[in-house]
Amino acid sequence: MAGILNLVLKRILLGAITLIGLTVITFILSHAGGPTFAVSTYINPRSPIPTYEQIKILEKRFHLNEPLYIQYFYYVQGLLTGQWGYTNTPVFNGPVTTAISYFLPNTIELSVLAIAIIIIAGIKLGVFSASRQDGVADNAIRVLSFMGIALPAFWLGLLLQETFASGTVSPSLNLLPLDGNVSHTLVTNLSWYREGISYPTHFLFIDALIHGDFAVAASNFLHLILPALTIALASLAIIIRMTRSSTIDSLHQDYIKTVRMKGIPERKVIRYHARRNAMIPTATVLGILFANLLAGVVLVEYVFDYPGIGQWIVQAFLADNIAGIMGANLMFGIILITSNLVVDIIYLFIDPRIKY
Amino acid sequence: MATATVKRLRSSARLRSSRLTLVLLLKKPTGAAGLFIMLAYLFIALLLQFAPWVIGISQPGVMITNFSNPYPSPPSSAHLLGTTYPGIDVLTAIIKAIRVDVFSSLLVVGAGASIGSLLGIYAGFRGKFIDQIVMRVTDIFFSLPFLVLAMAIGFTLGRAFGDVLLALIVIWWPIYARLARSQTLAIKNELYVKFSLVSGNGSVKTIFKHILPNTLTPVLIQMSVDLANVVLLIAGLYFIGFAAETPYLPELGSLISYGFPFSLTAPWTIIYPGLALMIFALGMNMLGDGLRDALNPRYRI
Repeated sequence: MAGILNLVLKRILLGAITLIGLTVITFILSHAGGPTFAVSTYINPRSPIPTYEQIKILEKRFHLNEPLYIQYFYYVQGLLTGQWGYTNTPVFNGPVTTAISYFLPNTIELSVLAIAIIIIAGIKLGVFSASRQDGVADNAIRVLSFMGIALPAFWLGLLLQETFASGTVSPSLNLLPLDGNVSHTLVTNLSWYREGISYPTHFLFIDALIHGDFAVAASNFLHLILPALTIALASLAIIIRMTRSSTIDSLHQDYIKTVRMKGIPERKVIRYHARRNAMIPTATVLGILFANLLAGVVLVEYVFDYPGIGQWIVQAFLADNIAGIMGANLMFGIILITSNLVVDIIYLFIDPRIKY
Repeated sequence: MATATVKRLRSSARLRSSRLTLVLLLKKPTGAAGLFIMLAYLFIALLLQFAPWVIGISQPGVMITNFSNPYPSPPSSAHLLGTTYPGIDVLTAIIKAIRVDVFSSLLVVGAGASIGSLLGIYAGFRGKFIDQIVMRVTDIFFSLPFLVLAMAIGFTLGRAFGDVLLALIVIWWPIYARLARSQTLAIKNELYVKFSLVSGNGSVKTIFKHILPNTLTPVLIQMSVDLANVVLLIAGLYFIGFAAETPYLPELGSLISYGFPFSLTAPWTIIYPGLALMIFALGMNMLGDGLRDALNPRYRI
């Protein structure tokens, strides 16, 4: 047990070092253009052009006239006290931390649905594929998973929109909403919904349930289906491949032969004996899965005009808003580092073969 | 005399080995298809680079617009795949874009793989402090989605096409550094490496003669898959409007972004460029899969 504790502490330390490295990178990138460039992130573009004196005052106020290594400590102090700069984009005007608290819940809703699709469908298809190794179904699934990796996510999103939301392919397929996260007619006069943000949790689905507004919750869910499917299809292939190969590996183990010789039906062999051990290697790719998911979110939210983090990043990028981009980078970094840490630690505990 | 024989034997063994790889690659349908797609795209790119007039294309570096008739028109005999906004012929734009995409992904992957492999081998070979530093830096790069990191770096560097490629090279070496390092660690203590060092070869010569050739297999497979990943990433960046400074640069992602506002009424503006993108990515993934089997020593006995 002490061995496990040591490893856990080591992983946490490595995560912390990575996080510090990340802040160094965002610091360098956001201060690479010199003090005047960095000041520009604190100025509202709609205000009158500042004078030279005003810029100097701002530089002083944000410690941009100090040496870089001292600026770094002010930068970290700002990050720790919640001052991540201001973001000026068509979708949001205000502090970066507020933007994150508004948009992240929407992205989490989307990601949860996508992850559910990926894990349920991925494991089912992977095990199915493995149980019919080299058969027709297996080959078909493998070809489809190849295509899943090769599909550009934004293009897939456009195709799905075309097929299921526009009626151009067939009017009878026009089943789902085109974009956004809720029908605007439903939320125009709600007391708990203002300017695209729901209160109090900012999770539209949860807020709708809290206020007992099931029509809004249903509309929100319908709006989630197409983007979640798009994100999921891009990452599904990874889980299918991993599950398939690890299930095939475990089907060749001695204990499976023993179980088969005992006369247990093949269906139960796979379900209760092979699949459980095959899940352990699959857990290792969850980290890659999260990274893929977050990258997919950016483009897919842009295509579906979904009010989440990805849409905000793209708008910040197009509006030359450096605080927004760096803030989003930091946030993604923190999410990924923590999720990798959790996956690593869980992995230490679920694999009985790791001994100390 | 003796050295000449050794040299001849060596080169014939190498030839046999590469021919064996080719045979094994072509034996699998996916590997053969991947190789074919790769060669076809490379052929189009080279043709457009050196003799665009053969297929009647002028100005391969820019998409020709037609503002007198800017709105998308469906496929017809004049425009086989239709036109996209603003009056761009989709077929010629795709062909032009293939050149830009293939060459830029080759450049990014080539540069990333060379820098990353050398750094990884050096880190693995030296071990200790240098190894720790390099690995911690790769950790940072892996803690971010490449798309978002590319946006941040590209933002600081600038929006010209060269800046995009530079930003991608900056983020594309860590994976090769890890691959080459783990491969180096695996063979560092083999007798032939130790013998080379003991017999007076410097570490540089040992690295290039014994360690580098042994790290090539996984790097080659990764490069093949990464050609697809880089093209998809470039297309994604251009789709969201990264290239503000080079508006009519033929690139598949930016071609799709021109059709984006019309995608529901004029599906041809996005379907065909996306297909060109997907076939390339599919081909590179299949080639990587084929190479993984063909270069696997288990199948070569």
